[in-house]
Amino acid sequence: MANLISEPTPLTVLSPIKNGDDGSQTFASLTRKYLQSLDIHEKSPMAKVPNTFLCRFFVLNDVFFEGSPGKVDHLKSKYLVFCCNFHGDLNTYLREFWQNAQQEAQKIWRHCVAFEQVHDAESFIDYIKKCELNTTIYFNGSTGLPLDEQLKALYLKQEFSQFACEKQGLSAEALFEAFQKFVERTRPADLTGPTWKPGQNTL
Amino acid sequence: MSNIAGKSYAMTVITPIPKIWAWVNLLKFWYSKNIRKKKSFGLQTLSLIHYARWIIIRPSQFPRLSSNQPKEDLHYAYMLFFSNFNGSWSQYVDSFHMAIPKGLDRIWKHNFKYPKSVPLQPFHRYILHNQIWTDHYYNAYPLASSNDVKAAIALRAALLEFIKQSENMSPEEFQKAYKAFLFYNQQHIAKMHSAPVINLADQAKVERVRLIESYEKTLRDEHGKPNF
Repeated sequence: MANLISEPTPLTVLSPIKNGDDGSQTFASLTRKYLQSLDIHEKSPMAKVPNTFLCRFFVLNDVFFEGSPGKVDHLKSKYLVFCCNFHGDLNTYLREFWQNAQQEAQKIWRHCVAFEQVHDAESFIDYIKKCELNTTIYFNGSTGLPLDEQLKALYLKQEFSQFACEKQGLSAEALFEAFQKFVERTRPADLTGPTWKPGQNTL
Repeated sequence: MSNIAGKSYAMTVITPIPKIWAWVNLLKFWYSKNIRKKKSFGLQTLSLIHYARWIIIRPSQFPRLSSNQPKEDLHYAYMLFFSNFNGSWSQYVDSFHMAIPKGLDRIWKHNFKYPKSVPLQPFHRYILHNQIWTDHYYNAYPLASSNDVKAAIALRAALLEFIKQSENMSPEEFQKAYKAFLFYNQQHIAKMHSAPVINLADQAKVERVRLIESYEKTLRDEHGKPNF
């Protein structure tokens, strides 16, 4: 079952973490601790990866026991899970991931099995594809447009809502002039700016 | 650890499903998507969802990248559920329960010990028992809800069209057209603000990193070596 069900593309990755430790902490603990120490919002390393809408990382320690009369299952490895919604095709996305956040990717996956074989964008793509899971059901409740279009639209919605509130009751000439200035300032057709930054959490 | 990034909440749930039912479900979902052309199980009625996905993984499908890595030997297949939604945990779970109980049961009903989405309390317990917390969650637009994104896209398209149409209008004609524009697009016009929970979640995150760092300092000497 292909993952290109509709735009945007869902990506789910389960990377096995090496069993063992560095002398004081398990590799799974070190991975979790690094993930928890990452900066958030616009300072998150994922803000540097083009066309990332929403993504999460976590360490899957084990599966859960549902109680009697169920059977007890335990995973033999812990897994680093990366779940992402992005725009575009997988190869381009992963190549840009590596090009824009190579150091962070190396730190995030450094304790995973076979990640030492990853040394460039192409080997990163191969590695992620080996760990990729097929999506069974996917629901897109948003839009699949490229991120720059979404961010520009959000910026414009905020600015125009402000404009509509402030410019009530103006004369025809004053309104006409104010709107021309608004268009000049916000450049609605220009995706390069002004716009919101990926991960921006303040106005 | 935070399941919150701005206005989005990341829910992850992993539940066991008997292997035979995993195959049945895979066939059922394939038929539903490709033959009946029904993809959403009623989810489109819940506009608070950005994206959601379900993945059925059989024991042999857990990635094994080296012969040194032990092979998984599990009694069950597992269903992973990932969702990104706006609002709180209980708002989300309750809206599933209230709005699309049958759609939800169709997806989960063969999972081991799934209690069904009605009544509510066992369903709450089932989700909580099987939920996994997120270690790092990123949202490209933390100030916006899913509805904000959809409204913004619609408003920008309408605004670009309006700018083109109003290019050669006199101020009087423009004023009339502008008022009509506001009338027809009023559902997309609203300012966004951060919610109090965003600030609280961010503060908690900063505090947690500070505590980890301070705890680590107490465990290591001046050369960075373990002090225990």
